[in-house]
Amino acid sequence: MIMEGGGGAKGTVASLSSLFPAQDAHKAAMRVQDAISEKQRELEHLRGFISDNANLINLVQKLPEELHHEVMVPFGKAAFFPGRLVHTNEFLVLLGEGYYAERTSKQTVEILKRRGKALDSQVDSLKAMMDDLKAEASFFDATASEAAEGLVEITEEYVEENNSEQESGSGVNKQDAPSVSGVDEARITEEDEEYARIMSRLDELEEEEELAAANDNQNDEEGEEEKETSNQSLEKLHDAKHSYSKASTFPCQRDEDIGSKELLDKYQQQQQEASTNPSNCSNFSEQSSSKGSLHGNNSSTQTRGMRNTNSAAKSVTFAEVKEKNQTLPASTSEAFTGSIVERPPIMPKISKQETETPLQPSGSQPSKPVSRFKMQRR
Amino acid sequence: MDVGIDNFRNEKVQRFEEFVDRRLKPDLVHAISERDKVFEQQKVFSDLRRNIENLEKNSITNLTTLVNLGSEVYVQGNVADTRRIFVDVGLGFHVEFTWSEALKFISLKEERLARQTEEYTHLIASIKAQIKLVCEGIRELLQLPAEKTVEGRVF
Repeated sequence: MIMEGGGGAKGTVASLSSLFPAQDAHKAAMRVQDAISEKQRELEHLRGFISDNANLINLVQKLPEELHHEVMVPFGKAAFFPGRLVHTNEFLVLLGEGYYAERTSKQTVEILKRRGKALDSQVDSLKAMMDDLKAEASFFDATASEAAEGLVEITEEYVEENNSEQESGSGVNKQDAPSVSGVDEARITEEDEEYARIMSRLDELEEEEELAAANDNQNDEEGEEEKETSNQSLEKLHDAKHSYSKASTFPCQRDEDIGSKELLDKYQQQQQEASTNPSNCSNFSEQSSSKGSLHGNNSSTQTRGMRNTNSAAKSVTFAEVKEKNQTLPASTSEAFTGSIVERPPIMPKISKQETETPLQPSGSQPSKPVSRFKMQRR
Repeated sequence: MDVGIDNFRNEKVQRFEEFVDRRLKPDLVHAISERDKVFEQQKVFSDLRRNIENLEKNSITNLTTLVNLGSEVYVQGNVADTRRIFVDVGLGFHVEFTWSEALKFISLKEERLARQTEEYTHLIASIKAQIKLVCEGIRELLQLPAEKTVEGRVF
């Protein structure tokens, strides 16, 4: 058991060679090699068929050039008569299931070419399978050599505090690699709660938006700057959270604990703060300040239309984030539990009715997929 | 002393088993497949005999048939004179026979094939007997009681 930085780390370290003895790995590699050679034989077989087919196509193409050919006509397997081929442009081709069709030379060649294509596709699939097997063999070899080198595997059970969901992270890693698993796992726990909260917030915003839609006409002349600023703030948000989301994308990669308890506590505190007062999150003061300025602007003007548009602007941001959420790959290891609210494409319409809000321009980074807890902070 | 005897016995049992698995059983499989080949030949020649007898009975002198070009593609073949037939006599040689000569050859060939079948059947039986013998030897070495089925068998 390895612990770094105290905390309640529970994990086991097993050397890779005890889990996968080098000989076993070698045996597995040998087995895969056998499978590869078997496939190779199959491939040779198919190649034989293909060359036979090509020869037959040649023959069928050449036969009608002459009226008849002198051949030995087989009579059973052990005897033949001297004879000749007649009607050299009439072929009887087996279609399958005992059905034969009378075809001309050209038509027969077409049939044979189609058969050749089927054979080619078989060869392709066989080759793909062989590639797969080769990759497997190289993996086994790598495992064998790693086991011989004395690598260790670190396994750790992760017990979540709030949810019954369990995350057990395990991975093979170099022993001396720096790792931040405790932090990651803490983040994962948050993500679920945050996600639920975000979704409810989104619902609220949508309602507001509907209200805003009623006031559409009043605010048509409002400029488009709000749209831009909101986008900028979103980008900023991306910026700030980029590293954060990256870290949470691979929760199981690193397994050593760095004071996971402490970090967990810290994050939960932040979480509570965030939930009670989303605009006061200390970590993301830039975003919250921008939000504050939004509010300030709002309160000073105090027109109904402004208010609505402000909420609409927010909902633009959220909608964007939501859409990205839907397209996000399942990078985090838990199931997608929230409900997806389909949103009609009203965004261009909304962009027309936005207020001018002074917002700080920020170092713009092209928009990236935002993890769902990112926007909750906003 | 006991341990030494045990080791010796285990070694012997192992050698016997290896002999059965690596020598006798492959031999048996080989013999059976050879016999199957002979059966096939027998079938080919009996078919040929029947066909020639058919030709004779109906006195067919010219024949139109379908020739397999491979991959189940057939083209019509015409035989102008069926009275001369080339029969495979083995080792890639084909001899030109008349119908009566061919029938005589075929009967000789069938006789020979029947003898070969007999030989292979004997060979298979003896290999099976050897396997049984070695198994019995192993049983004796291990001092197990004789199998009931063996004792109870009545020939």
